[in-house]
Amino acid sequence: MSEVRLQVQNLCKSFGITKAVQNVSFNINKGEVHALIGENGSGKSTLTNMLTGIYSIDSGHFILDGKEIHPKNQVEANNEGVSIIVQELGTLSGLTVAENIFLGHEARFVKFGIKNTGAMNREAQKLLDQYGFGRIRASAMVDEYNFEDRKLVEIVKATYFQPKIVVIDETTTALSQEGREELYKQMNRIRSEGNTIIFISHDLPEVLRMSDTITCLRDGVYIDTVKSSEIDEEGLKKLMVGREVTGDYYRPDYGEPVSNEVVLSVQNVTVPGQIENVSFELHKGEILGFGGLSESGMHEVGKACFGASFDRTGTVKLYDGTSINSIPQAISHSMAYTSKDRDNESVVMNQSIGDNICLPSLGSLTSIPGILSGAKMKEFARKYAAEMSVKMVDTDQFVSDLSGGNKQKVVLARWIGKDSDILVLDSPTRGIDIKVKQDIYQLMDRMRKSGKSIIMISEELMELIGMCDRILIMKDGKINGELLRSPELDENSLIAKMV
Amino acid sequence: MAETTSAVSKEEALKKRSTMALVRSLLPVAGLIIVFIIFNTLTKGRMLGKLSMAMSSVYVTMIASTGVFFVMTMGGLDFSQGSILGMASIVVCLVSKTSIPLAIVAGIATGAAIGAINGFFYVNRKIKSFIVTICTMFLFRGIIKYLTSNAPVQGSAKLIMLNTDRLKVICTLVVVCIGFIAFTFTRFGINLKAIGAGEKAAKFAGIRTDRMKFLVYVLAGAITGFAAFINSIKVGSVTASGGNQVETQILIALVLGGMPISGGAKSRFTNIIIGSLLYVVLASGLNMVGLSTQTQQLIQGVVFLVFVAVFADRESLSVIK
Repeated sequence: MSEVRLQVQNLCKSFGITKAVQNVSFNINKGEVHALIGENGSGKSTLTNMLTGIYSIDSGHFILDGKEIHPKNQVEANNEGVSIIVQELGTLSGLTVAENIFLGHEARFVKFGIKNTGAMNREAQKLLDQYGFGRIRASAMVDEYNFEDRKLVEIVKATYFQPKIVVIDETTTALSQEGREELYKQMNRIRSEGNTIIFISHDLPEVLRMSDTITCLRDGVYIDTVKSSEIDEEGLKKLMVGREVTGDYYRPDYGEPVSNEVVLSVQNVTVPGQIENVSFELHKGEILGFGGLSESGMHEVGKACFGASFDRTGTVKLYDGTSINSIPQAISHSMAYTSKDRDNESVVMNQSIGDNICLPSLGSLTSIPGILSGAKMKEFARKYAAEMSVKMVDTDQFVSDLSGGNKQKVVLARWIGKDSDILVLDSPTRGIDIKVKQDIYQLMDRMRKSGKSIIMISEELMELIGMCDRILIMKDGKINGELLRSPELDENSLIAKMV
Repeated sequence: MAETTSAVSKEEALKKRSTMALVRSLLPVAGLIIVFIIFNTLTKGRMLGKLSMAMSSVYVTMIASTGVFFVMTMGGLDFSQGSILGMASIVVCLVSKTSIPLAIVAGIATGAAIGAINGFFYVNRKIKSFIVTICTMFLFRGIIKYLTSNAPVQGSAKLIMLNTDRLKVICTLVVVCIGFIAFTFTRFGINLKAIGAGEKAAKFAGIRTDRMKFLVYVLAGAITGFAAFINSIKVGSVTASGGNQVETQILIALVLGGMPISGGAKSRFTNIIIGSLLYVVLASGLNMVGLSTQTQQLIQGVVFLVFVAVFADRESLSVIK
């Protein structure tokens, strides 16, 4: 069990003068799931990217089963017995499923310079069937499948050749509960075959549940390696942040009554192919959660409330009877929205932080009517960027330079500046580290107390349970259950309604 | 990377980028001065002497560039400008026989109408702007050729009498000033930049992107329709080649002025002014030195390529709509 598979020795990697990984050494054993944890930018991905040949090594060594390896690309890494499942989409559009699975290893199907497509498809289909993904057809274009199924294809691609080490880089955040279960099953199988998994995840309960050993990195420096049976969530947080995480993570209160005043009433809303006959009411000062599988339609509910759905029927009305049918209308009636797709739908990437914050409030930042005041814009942007403690050099800096957590802060600063009363937050903490997550939770709690109403859509069940007054669970485009805030509420009761 | 250790390096990287940005912002101005000096030396000061003649072609380019600048800031392209100028000039010439003010209005209306056709197919039919505008370029070029097949369309004699530098300068200044104020000091400019920098996110921030995109094409057409009036008082008649290649001239002018070809937040209004001047100095300079048309085009092509290479924002090139 405790035979060493991979030795990481004095590993260093710099980008310019940023030391992304500094002199990191530790061992990874055979037949274990070894988790790598750390905040955004702690060097986890840099390390595994060097192992899998995506980045080159500055100095230091990877010793795999007693033999030093330094792969120059992913195919070479595969040949050494190392593979990776990446965070975002790792399959190539325009190729078939089979071509994706055997990418870089086509040679085995080539005879006399001609590729035997039939044999390749048969082989790929055999693998898919073995994995229990028989519904995916090997000969089909990978584009025909959704994000989840493409991830399953990647799992096959990364594991079919029995690699000695499989790196799973924050794959689970992109997956729904169902997809995660599939992934967990495969992880257990790989471990039982005596091979090793390096598991990167922000989700600490998941890390504790799935891994045998946990190594923590902070700012590119090795901190510690612990047995997961000997540590708890608080201990991990402390390792990652380097100090106790003070204060409450989620909101602490239970049993506070929610006002009866309805601020938003959604009746019989249908978006073809997405959601069907969804009706609910949002109260003043309430945090209303939406949970479900990724494809359950819950993300569309947020868009529908904000007037951003195409082809919507049914009504979305404010307390005074005003109908919300378009985005500008929603904004002018004090509604706000943050999208799950942060880079495309929330922040204008190639624009300054300042302009991003001011965008919906431009109407009020004028000196003479219609003429914008540069000074007022600057002051406005600075004020709300500071309120959200956005880490930046100046508000003139482009948003594309910021990390995911900071981008989310810019979006929130925009809506706080607009002083919106109804906030629709879709996956507000997706891919964000603990410190910023806590900031966002505390912000939501403050807003709730000041009488603002929040719709929170999330795939993370724990944060729904921790933050919401009421949780609506979506399944196949319909509301499938309602759960009220209570300390007894646990993930299983939510999952039961989801699947 | 890690927020504490990276603060320094990020600053370093920003500094590096800001030097690059400084080079980019100074290059057009420096280019203008250098090109001006070179040609004056080569022509032994003849250029300075014939400045007003050289300048006479800058007005149309500069006015029309203002509209295209808006289109490009938004991330679009417009290749139909030459045909718009030609069509609108024909209308101006025809109507000028009735009334000059009416001719101006008719020219603007013609331009706006063609812009509306561009906008409709771009926004409602969701066809890439350069494809739509290349189609309308050929379509209206065909109509211009048909209308001028027997003889050039003559404008009224009153038109040519208006051909004074003063009027042209005033008209150009008015258009450029209104454009500058709208772009720099109103929501219009910031919204345009936001659409160019990230259309979907702009939409979710409350900008009516579709309406905006349509109106900007109409506006660009209308502005060029006005430029057609200036063009008509200068030439007095329209031939089959009226307005030919104006679209490329505008594009070259804007790029020479430092306009990023994919638009977005790095667009500056000064791109129009410096670009048009640089283009006109370059074009008339090459002409005065006595180079053949072929050589002139060759040199223009090389210069264009160099500037595009310098100013293209490679990260966002994929967003040209």
